[in-house]
Amino acid sequence: MRRPSVLIIAAAVVAALQIGFLAWTISTRASVLRDGREVVLKVEPIDPRDLLRGDYVTLGYEMSRLRAALFQPPPAADADSSPRSVWVALRKGDDNLFHPVKAAFDRSALTGLAADDVVVRGETSNWPGVGGDVFVQYGLERFYLPEGAGKQIEQDMRQRSFFVVAAVAADGAAQIKAFRDGETTLFEEPYY
Amino acid sequence: MAYLDKLGADVARWQGKGLLSAEQASILVAEARDNHRSGIGIGSVLAILAGLLLAAAILIFIAANWEAIPRLWRVAALFALLAASYLGGALLKLNGQDGFAESAWLVGAATFGGAIALIGQMYHMSGDETQAILVWCLGAAVAAAALRSPALTIAAVVLAMLWGVWPAYSIFRFDAPLGYLPLAAALWAIAMWTRSISARYLILLSLIPYAILLYLQHDNIVLLIALTLVSAGLFAAVILAGDMVEQLIGLGGGLASVALIGVFSGLVALQAVFADTGHFLWLSIVALAASIAALAYGGRLGRGVRWLAYAAFAVEIALIYLQTVGSMLGTAGFFLVAALGLGLLAFFIIRIERRMAVSAQGGS
Repeated sequence: MRRPSVLIIAAAVVAALQIGFLAWTISTRASVLRDGREVVLKVEPIDPRDLLRGDYVTLGYEMSRLRAALFQPPPAADADSSPRSVWVALRKGDDNLFHPVKAAFDRSALTGLAADDVVVRGETSNWPGVGGDVFVQYGLERFYLPEGAGKQIEQDMRQRSFFVVAAVAADGAAQIKAFRDGETTLFEEPYY
Repeated sequence: MAYLDKLGADVARWQGKGLLSAEQASILVAEARDNHRSGIGIGSVLAILAGLLLAAAILIFIAANWEAIPRLWRVAALFALLAASYLGGALLKLNGQDGFAESAWLVGAATFGGAIALIGQMYHMSGDETQAILVWCLGAAVAAAALRSPALTIAAVVLAMLWGVWPAYSIFRFDAPLGYLPLAAALWAIAMWTRSISARYLILLSLIPYAILLYLQHDNIVLLIALTLVSAGLFAAVILAGDMVEQLIGLGGGLASVALIGVFSGLVALQAVFADTGHFLWLSIVALAASIAALAYGGRLGRGVRWLAYAAFAVEIALIYLQTVGSMLGTAGFFLVAALGLGLLAFFIIRIERRMAVSAQGGS
C-alpha cells in the first residue's frame, strides 16, 4: 500500500487537472469575447423543419454553406471529405452585416484581404455537398435558451430576421456574444 | 476479503505450529494482499451504482436549475463536486473502504463528463461531441492511472469505445478512428498498472468489432484474414504455452474464449463477404473444422471455450444450411432438419461434457 499522503496528493492532482481543463475552456471563451473583433451575422435556417432541439436553437449562417468558387484554391472534386479546418474571410457589407468573401483550407492562401476583413476558422462537416458547396461549422451553431422560451423564439425566427453578434479572436476562434431579434438584443453574454 | 481473512488465520496457525517463521508469515500475508484483488463483490457494485445515481442526481439538478442558480455558482458547484469526489474517494480508500472509494472516483469521472457538457451548454460552445468524449475518456484514464483505480480504468475503456462509435451514431460516419489503437494500447498499460482484468478483456473484445469496422471502411479482405489468423494464433498460444501467455498478458482462463470469439467473428465475416461465391464452401469447412479443433484441443480450458465451440458449430451448420439446401426445402422441412440437427448437437454436447467431468475427477 502507498503512503496516505501520496494518494491524497494524486487525488488532488487529478481534481486540479480536470478543474483546470474546464476553467481553461471557460477562460479561453472569455478572452475571445473580450479581445475578439465583433461581427454581426444574419441567422439563416439550415434545417427549417427543426430549429428547436431540446433546449437550444440551431443556428445557420450564410457562411455555413460556402460555394466552391469562394475557395482559394478551389477544392479538388475528388478530395477526401473528412473534416478539416477551413479559414473564411468575412467582409462588412452595406447592410452592416458580415458576409463570406473568400475561403481557404490553408490560412496563408487567403490573400488580397482588406484591413477590416475578419478571418474566422471553421471545420468542414459534410462536403462536397450539392453543387460542390462546402458545409462548415464554427462552434456558433447552438444557442441554449432558458426553459420554455424556445417555442416562441422558434416561431419568431420563422417570421423575421434574427442576428448573432460573434466575437472572432486573432486565431480565428469565434464565440457568440449576443443574440438579436431584429434590433432588439434578446441575450447578451457576460464573459463568465 | 474473505480469502485474506482465512489465509491470515491459516498462516497464524502454521506459524504457531512452527511451520513458518514470523518473517515468512508476514511475507506470505503481504504477498497475498498485494496480489489478491478480490473481484468486485455485490457490496462494491451497489456502492458504485449508488455513486453513479448520486452523480446523475446532482448533474440533473444543476442542469434543471438553469436560471435559478447564477452561472458562476453552477461552475463553482461542479468544481467543488469534482474536488470532493476525488479527495473523498482517496480518504475512503485510506480507511479501507475500497468499494465506496471506487464509487466516489466514478462520481468524479461522471462529474467531469457532465461538467464538459454543462459548461458547453452554459457558454453556448457547440463543439465537437466526439472530441468532448475523447477529453472525457482521457480525464478518466489519467484519474485511473493516478489513483490506481480498476473501476476508473473500466470507465475509461468504455468511454474510449464510445468515442470510437460516436461518429457512426451521431453523423453516420462508419469510420474506424486510427487513434483508437494507440488509445487502446495506453489504456492496456493503465489496466496492467491498476490490475484491472475486466478492462483488459473489454479492450481485447473491442478490437474484434474494430477490425470489422476497419474492413468495412477500407474494403480490404486482408483485415478480416488478419483478425482470424491473429485470434487463432492467440488461441494456439494459450494451448501450447499457456503459462508463458499468462505471464505476458495475465488474463487467466478467459483469454482463450476471447481468442475464439475473434476467430469465429473473422470467419463468419469472411463467409458473409464470400456468401455467393465458391469460397463459401471451403470457408464453412474451415469454420466447422475450427470449432471441432477448438473443442478437441481447447475443451479442457474451460466451459467458456466449449460452449463457444458448440455455438460456433451450430451457427456454421445453420449458415451452410441457409446458403445451400435452405431454398430447396419448405418450412416444414426446415423445422425437421433443425430438430434433427439440434438433437444431434445436444447428444454430442452431453457426451463431451460428461467425459470432461469424468476426466476432471480423474485428474484431481
